Amino acid sequence: MERELLISVDPIDELELVRNREPGGKAGAAVYFSGIVRDTETNQTILALEYEAFIPMAEHQFRLIFDEIERRWPIFSIRLIHRIGHVPVGECSLWVEVRAGHRAEAFAACQHLIDQMKKVVPIWKKAV
Amino acid sequence: MQIRIQFFSYYRELAGCPETTLEFPEQTELRTAAAQVFQQFPNLAPFHKSTLIAVGYDYVSPEHHLQPGDVISFFPPVQGG
Repeated sequence: MERELLISVDPIDELELVRNREPGGKAGAAVYFSGIVRDTETNQTILALEYEAFIPMAEHQFRLIFDEIERRWPIFSIRLIHRIGHVPVGECSLWVEVRAGHRAEAFAACQHLIDQMKKVVPIWKKAV
Repeated sequence: MQIRIQFFSYYRELAGCPETTLEFPEQTELRTAAAQVFQQFPNLAPFHKSTLIAVGYDYVSPEHHLQPGDVISFFPPVQGG
């Protein structure tokens, strides 16, 4: 399974990422997830979220999740970018692409990846 | 042995510092060390049940025996995405 992982303060260019998708080959499914900063947090209007990460541990924990996905589903590739630092409302904070032969495993792996991230990957956010 | 303790997110403010170093006997279990940290940083104590604790970059069992050079990290539930 090919993997790309990036935790960065740079804005996420979703269109560019999709343009750079590997040619299909045997991959009949590419599932995308974009996490977008909402304009409210616990019923308060906000302007942005400030993300903080314990980066080396976050990278390690993402790799452990990727390892588990590779054991459980026939996935061809995962690309994941998590933006940290100041992320204004409406901008993308998390972008994921999961490619597989068929949609069922691509959806399942993508869902699992995000669910696990929210349990173990040390990234936090603060409304500003 | 000296063990480095790190705090992340709002635990830094609660602890009043980003990190500290504490002295423990060799082979101390993580749970014993954690109890000492909560005692030393009482503002963290109310959150002890929801606190995530890592040794190095891994979550380990409370019975994990600490080794010289280990770094313990304390932080609140994660919120990526």
